[in-house]
Formats: sequence, structure tokens, C-alpha cells
Amino acid sequence: MTRREWIALISAAPLLKAAPGPDGAAEGAPAAPVAIARCASYDQDMTAPLAAMFDQLGGLDRMVRGKTVTIKLNMTGSPALRVDGRPPGVTHYVHPKLVGATAHLLGRAGARRIRFVESAWATSGPLEEYLLDSGWNVRQLLAAAPGVEFENTNALGKAKKYARFPVPGGGYVFPAYDLNHAYQDTDVFVSMAKLKNHGTCGVTLSMKNCFGMLPASIYGDDAGVDEPNESPTAGRSKIMHAGRRQPSRSAPAELDPSSSRAPGYRVPHIVADLVKSRPLDLEIVDGIESIAGGEGPWIQGVRRVQPGVLLAGLNPVSTDAVAAAVMGYNPRAVRGAAPFRNCENTLLLAERHGVGSADLRRIDVRGVPIAGALYRYDT
Amino acid sequence: MLRTAPWVALLSAMPLLAALAPPAAWAPARWNGTNPQSLDLVSGTPINCLLVNSYSSEFVARAAARGIVLLAVLKPGADPADPARQAIRAGLQGIVLEGDFPTGTAARVRDTLADAHAIVVELTSRARMPLGGLDPIIGTYQGVWPGIQVLENGAAKAAPSGSPWIDTNTGFVRSVRAWSPAAVWLGYLPPAHTVVTGERYEAAIADAEMAGARWILALDDDFSARLERGDAAALKNWRGMAQVLRFFESHPEWRALRSYGKLAVIEDRDDALLSGGILDMIAAKHTPTRAIPGQRLTPDALQGATMAVDVDAESLTPEQREMLKNFARAGGTVLTAPPGWKGQSALQPGQITLDKAELDRLNDIWHDVQTMTGRKNLGARLFNVSSMLSNVLGTDDGKQVVVELVNYSAYPIENVTVQVLGTFKHAQLITPEGIQKDLEVYVPDEGGTGVDIERVSACAAVRLD
Repeated sequence: MTRREWIALISAAPLLKAAPGPDGAAEGAPAAPVAIARCASYDQDMTAPLAAMFDQLGGLDRMVRGKTVTIKLNMTGSPALRVDGRPPGVTHYVHPKLVGATAHLLGRAGARRIRFVESAWATSGPLEEYLLDSGWNVRQLLAAAPGVEFENTNALGKAKKYARFPVPGGGYVFPAYDLNHAYQDTDVFVSMAKLKNHGTCGVTLSMKNCFGMLPASIYGDDAGVDEPNESPTAGRSKIMHAGRRQPSRSAPAELDPSSSRAPGYRVPHIVADLVKSRPLDLEIVDGIESIAGGEGPWIQGVRRVQPGVLLAGLNPVSTDAVAAAVMGYNPRAVRGAAPFRNCENTLLLAERHGVGSADLRRIDVRGVPIAGALYRYDT
Repeated sequence: MLRTAPWVALLSAMPLLAALAPPAAWAPARWNGTNPQSLDLVSGTPINCLLVNSYSSEFVARAAARGIVLLAVLKPGADPADPARQAIRAGLQGIVLEGDFPTGTAARVRDTLADAHAIVVELTSRARMPLGGLDPIIGTYQGVWPGIQVLENGAAKAAPSGSPWIDTNTGFVRSVRAWSPAAVWLGYLPPAHTVVTGERYEAAIADAEMAGARWILALDDDFSARLERGDAAALKNWRGMAQVLRFFESHPEWRALRSYGKLAVIEDRDDALLSGGILDMIAAKHTPTRAIPGQRLTPDALQGATMAVDVDAESLTPEQREMLKNFARAGGTVLTAPPGWKGQSALQPGQITLDKAELDRLNDIWHDVQTMTGRKNLGARLFNVSSMLSNVLGTDDGKQVVVELVNYSAYPIENVTVQVLGTFKHAQLITPEGIQKDLEVYVPDEGGTGVDIERVSACAAVRLD
């Protein structure tokens, strides 16, 4: 597809050759506005474009004043692994300046508590140490707003028990998921993701970021058999990607152990389950600088890109649909088409769950139009 | 006489050498060619000792006038006694026997040169290093080329810690220095058929210096040629290398400090001579460690330590085993490798790293060490340092600590955090670029003293008082 053809396509959204809404769910799933802003580099002030986007979405105050806001960061993989030796914030992690600017705006909007969370790769140690290892200045982040705190959700953390999140209406893979308390003890839940490709899922945006909610203590390669292993040291490939074993028995088992073991089937379905069971209130996607070709330095052939965009939205399916379009993809593409060449389309699975609409025709894009923010990840 | 006489006496008896720096302060480089003008490159650098394969009278005279020590390099083959005598007669200050000569050769050459009070430096294989002797300088021609190990597909090889694996000689140097107070020279060469960047040379210099040794600076042929013809890029790299060398050589007091680590690793001689062993694995986690030769295990050596890893319990005497039991009774933690975990095969000639089977076995010990150390602060904890190695040193009274950092990547690293055990009021960042900057000190959540460093290029040090 040429650039001209793509611009024509996204300018005339009704002409999109979309996958039909399975069971009519596409028509029924809610759509929400998505804001796009340009931001050329992390040296620029990020507060202004972020604030403008939040205003375009109706303002932060009404959403966060006096409330606990939990922000799931995207810090995938060991902080020791780098793309071209660059800080992970300019490649595959969200950037700490964006995190700081968000905290500042949340604080200004009256948030009572701002809790940044991530399931730190292969450790249950304090998230602050993981941030330090990533080259983040934790003291600056703490000073960005009152009530900032951090929690590593890779294990039990500061709580005494895990919170159980049933998938309303039944899940694709699991009926419910056991997560760290931080995902329950919150009024507002935010996914802060990176605009990236993903080796298994084609793209990783605000929804795929939620795969990182899963504690490795229960769903990791060295998870306990009966009870969680509170000192996990590995990722989640055996259980969640490949289905070679079940999670700790303390958590609900798979619905159908005879279902496909292919990661390209399992991970998108699990992600759709997760965003159904733990709804998102706000999504922020960091596309200022990123990588294309995969989600991290362990994927061969990843390359650095500089789309210079930020996105924010109020429905994860809608937000990811617009983000995928900004990356040059048809968000309703079916398996076999880019970027979902070897996997299911997570957006359509979440749409089928009724989480939101991936139909660009129904999504109100505010700020910079998609065509103006377009940055093709497949070259 | 040379092997036993104190160097002070030797120098006072020798007018020429007395005008030069003492051997412990020699900063060596291999020097190709005899063009006297090439010595201009050395001016203004800490390099004060050149290892030469050939020499002319004019070259020797010019070097002497500049206070530069010249050592003739002799290799196995012909009897080295005659060329050694010729070199000394030509005005060189000593010779370097590089390679594994027949046993007794070095002593015979020393006897031959005894009247001239010339120095003889042996660069042997690691296995033949005269540890525990009285030579002022000991060295080896073997070494790993320092840097982040890259796999064939271009990716960085991961260490057990999940960090990129850094090839380094620091563990070996630490072990050797635990054996011997002599200056340690590393005489390995840059890798052949490889483009070696300025950053890699800087890393090689810093890798040795950080551990208290000196790399005998050796340039690849291409770099040498470019330098000789005044190529601007080569000159810039040369200045960068000199800057890194000056950074360490201008702080000789750091060599006298001792490890600030609370973790002791007790190993035998064979383990000590390898790279990539337990010391390097622990170093990759930036846990400050003190190396203790098993044969020199004493209560004093364990003073201040809270944990000890006994890599080869079978080599300890009953008294030493009792010492470790007492250490444990006094509250220390001892991790002892299981009996028979070590390979049955002896160190092969030329072997300086572990083979795969040994690495697999060592991994078991490594996991135990990781479990034991966990997140504990055993002297210092460092963050965002996966492409770096560090050395944490302190004065005997613990009132001053120096954290040395070497960056093995081609990129500067921003936002490095150092958390040191103990309370310190002042911290100063010192860099090869000449920065001497006070850092804000703070108390981390878990106690101690914390500092944040904005940026580390090739290397840096933080001094805490």
C-alpha cells in the first residue's frame, strides 16, 4: 500500500475493508474519543501536549480529583538489555519524562494518590530499584506530585492476598486472573504504553501492556505449583505464552487445556480477557521515540524510530485502533495481514468481548488527525 | 641480588634509574619503530615506560632525555642472555621476557645482568606467574580483550544476572593482587582482524587500572600507522586513551585502598588465574568482593566480612576450615561449594577462561551466591550499570570510600545511582574529562549514603568522605 493509498484510506474511513464485527459486537461495543498530539522529542516540554490531550478528552479533574490513580507502566524485559546501548526510555520502555509529566498533571488535577505499577521482569524487589536500574530518577518522580508511590506487581507486594478478577461473561482462556492488590485498590486505572510492534501480538499498545499485570509469582516460569512463588526470577513464557504448564493452583486454571498452545493464539486472547476483567479508564501511548519490528532488544531486527506522537484515550480498544492506524496498520486486519501475520488481532478479540470498538469510523479523533500523525512502522 | 634487594637500595645505587620513576609507577606501552620523533606522542601522557623490539642509539638517547624507561622485549627461542646484555649496554633499563621460557631462564638472565642492576620483567602465561615472589613487577601475556561480549547475531550475550556479559580481567587481577604486592602488568594484544575503536582501547586501559593493574598499551597495526602519519581521528583517540590513563595514574592512592566489600571469596590458585569465574560473575552484579587466596586465609583476611564463599573447600587445611566455622559462629554466613563440584581436569596450558562444563557447574554455585546475597548491601549497590563494572575501595578506617566505574559500551550512561554502606557527608564525582563536581548525598530508604551521577562516559569515580 502506498502512502497516498493509506492516506486516502484513513481519510475515508467508511471505505475501510474491515473485519466484520463478530456476532455484531463491533457495532455494540462502546467507542470513545482519542486524542493525538505531536511531540518531537523528550527534550520538549511534555506537560503542554499531555494537558491539551486530557482537555480534549474532557479534562482530568473530573476523573481523578480526590482519587487513587494507578498507572501501569510499560517497562518490558530486563532493564539491563538495551537497544544500541540507548536508555530504554527512548526505545522500548515508556519514557521517565512522560511519567513525570503525567504525575505532575494528575497531582495538579487533585489526585490523592498516584501509584505507578509494573511487574518488574524476573524480580519481586521494590519497583523503585527497577526504575533506578532503568536509569530513572526516582527522587524526581516522587517530587513530581504529592502522593506518588510505586509498587512492583510481579508478586504479592504490599498486600496480604492477591485480588481475583473474574472475566465478566467468561474468559477466552482463563475464567479469572489473580493479580496484585494495586489493580483492585484504585479508583482510576491507566495504561501507559509504548507505540511498538510485538513479536507475538503484532502490536503492543495500551491493551497488550496489561499482559504485564500478570504476576510471575503465579503465572511465571518458576511459579509455585500449589502456591505462588514470591521470589520469581523468570518471565511468563511457559504458562501464558506456550501453555506448557498451569499457573499456581491457588489461581483459577485454564478453561480448556486442549485449546491451542500457539502463543499467537494464547497471548492475544489472554490480553483481551485481562482488559475485560480489569477495565481501563485512561490510556496514554508514548510514540515520541520507540522501536519497530518488535517489543524489545531480544527481538532480532528491531530498529529505532521517532514517530514524534503521543496518544491518549478513554477506551483501550479505540485508543489502540487509532494507535495502530498511526503506525500504518489497519486496526481491523485479520490474522495473516500486517501486523497480525502470525497471531490473532487482540483489538478484535477485545471488541468481541465488548470492551470497545476498533472501528475507526466510530472513533472521534481529536487534536492531530491520524493522517497527520501517520508513521509507518512497516517500511 | 636483584630479586631480594629492596628497590630503594637499587635505585640509590643506580644514577640513571634513580632519575626515573620507580618500577611500581611505570605505565608501560609497547612501541613499534625507532623513530625518535614518535616519542613526541608520549609527551604529556602518563606513559613512562616503553617495551621495544628494536632500538637505535638516537632513540635510546632521546628516551633517556625524556625520562622514559626502555625495556627490550625478548621472546623464547634463542638464549636471551646475549641480547639482554646488548640491550643493557645500549642504555636500556631492562628487559622483558615475554613468553614461557624454560624454567630457570629468568633467574639466569637476572644473574647475567646483576652488575648492571637492570630490571627483568617476566610476562608469562597466567599459570606460570611467580605469585608470592619478590619481583617488583609481575605480568602475563594472556588476557581477555575487555568489552561487552557480542554473539554472532550481533546481540549482547547475557550474563547469569541477565545483564550483558562483560569480558574482563578484573577478577583475575584482584586474585593476583591478593597474592602479591607487586605491580601487575597485562600484556595481551588487541584482537586480530578486528576494528578496534578508541572506546575499546579506553575500556582495556580502564579495565586493568580499575583493578589496580596496568595494561601494556598496545595498538593494532592500523591504528599505529594512522597515528604515525598524524591522522586526526587516530590522534583524537590517542588523546582519549591518554586521558583515561591519566585519570587513574593521577590517583595512585586508590591502588593502596582495600576492597570495601563485606563479601569474601576464598579460592585456590587455579581458580584465581581464570577469567569469567566466580569473581567476575559477582562483579557483574556490582557486589564489592574481596578475593582471598585459600592458602592465605586468616582471621585477619576475613576481618569486616559478613559473608564468605568457599569455592574450593577441599583445598583448605583443617585449621582454615575451623577458621571458617568460627567466622560462621560469630555471625558470618559461609557458602561452601559442594564437594567434588570442580572439574577433575587440570587447567590446560593456554586456558584462561572456564570451559562450558566448568561454567555449567559454576552456575550452580552462582545461583547459591545470588540467593545468599540477594538485595543485601554488601558494601555498595549500584543501579543502571549493566554495561559497567565497578570497584569499591575504602581506607582501613572506613572514613573514605572510592567507587570506580568503567563503562564498556560505546555510549555514555546517564543516571547512575550509587548506594554505599555507611554514612558519608561529602561526595565528589571525578572524571577523566577533568570534572570534579560535588554530588548531593542523601540517605536511601534502606540506609547508607546515596548519590546520583548524571553521566558516565568511559569511566568515573565517586569519592565519599
